[in-house]
Amino acid sequence: MRVRLSALWAAVALAAGLFVLLGYFVQLKAVQDLRLTFLHWAVLLAGAALIVGLVNLVSVHWRKVGLLEEGWIYSAVLILALVITLGLGLFFGPDNAVALFIFSNFQLPVETSLMALLAVSLVVAGFRLVSRRRDLYTLIFLATALFVMVGTAPWPLPGLGTFEVVVRDLRAWISQVWAAGGARGILLGVALGATATGLRVLLGTERPYGG
Amino acid sequence: MTGSAWQGLAALAVFLGLLLLFAALGRRSPASFRPIPAFEALGRAIERAVEAGQRVHISLGTGSTVGQESAPAFAGLAALSSIARTTSMSDRPVVATTGDAAMAILARDTLRSAYESVGAAERYEPTAGRLLAPTPFSYIAGLPLVLATEEVAVHMLTGSFGVEAALAADFGERENAFVIAGTDDVQSQALFFATAEHPLIGEEVFATGAYLEVGGLHTASLRTQDALRWAIIALILGGTLLSTFGVLR
Repeated sequence: MRVRLSALWAAVALAAGLFVLLGYFVQLKAVQDLRLTFLHWAVLLAGAALIVGLVNLVSVHWRKVGLLEEGWIYSAVLILALVITLGLGLFFGPDNAVALFIFSNFQLPVETSLMALLAVSLVVAGFRLVSRRRDLYTLIFLATALFVMVGTAPWPLPGLGTFEVVVRDLRAWISQVWAAGGARGILLGVALGATATGLRVLLGTERPYGG
Repeated sequence: MTGSAWQGLAALAVFLGLLLLFAALGRRSPASFRPIPAFEALGRAIERAVEAGQRVHISLGTGSTVGQESAPAFAGLAALSSIARTTSMSDRPVVATTGDAAMAILARDTLRSAYESVGAAERYEPTAGRLLAPTPFSYIAGLPLVLATEEVAVHMLTGSFGVEAALAADFGERENAFVIAGTDDVQSQALFFATAEHPLIGEEVFATGAYLEVGGLHTASLRTQDALRWAIIALILGGTLLSTFGVLR
């Protein structure tokens, strides 16, 4: 029975995937309508998945609090914050002044702080890279990164007009010719890889939906 | 159908044809791929983690299930399936986290299928596939706790990431975990190159399944990609030459 069910899921996924894919190529109204319907269902399912995800999130942290596992206090804070913000959002709406206050004064500063931490982490990672991976690629990577940063930053010394122009032109040449060329090559490879992954799912050989 | 639609459909048909051809040829003429040090080191790191009773953590990124950004996460699910089977007898089974709720459900399904396939269904835990948080930076904020409290020894990042990629890899390094990281975004790949011990560059993230020997079609996919890459290179060079000599305008 389980085998039959997994074959059914595979058939449903395959049919839905093929219709959506076909909609990119065939401009028939019936195919387009069906494709849009499937995409709308996907958005609805993603919304339902978020509820399942939140239940999963709470169950993970509830367990940690219940067993007093390492870091349980953070889990308790998470559950408390979730209950408060969810309650406020449900009762007063997401545009409520208190909900906006929580977003502006808790969520936003934390995310901005992480963004600031990113700059520090990258500097530390640059130093770590020099000590750990000393090869030609690392040297080119770091030298290019430094040169492009110097070429982009405001010029600190006055009276070096010609030199500044040369550095800026060289920076533009590196970023617009070499870096853009390399990025396009990488993107071609990524597009091929993404297509192969999609086709494997469409063929039903890869079934992340179970079975 | 427009001209570009026909071209797209033809390209897809060629891709599919080559994929099936290489899949059929697979057993008769096995492929040999260049060694990628990151994947060789990954196998050893997983063995060490299992022996030490530590955990493998797979991050499926912060991208959505719908759209192009889902592709590296699907590649990550293939890796998750393979690693879950390999580590099924470990004291601490593999954990997968993501910033997308639908991807978390797929991760749980993948884990359940993997354990059932090796006859270890009782090893499956519904909390092993988790939604960590629904936005990129809140996901990153939740990562250190997972890495520290779950005794993670291998931190594998295969999914869609934005600039938060740097922190995701860096947190693994700070926990002295083995960090292997790949994504589809070029800028995030540059960040991984700087922060991860073993970065996967370009389409290497999509080669994970072939190198972890997930199945014959993964190997066939890689051979198809290589064949088409050479065809594209030939087309670009040919087009450049024809354009240079005025044949093409």
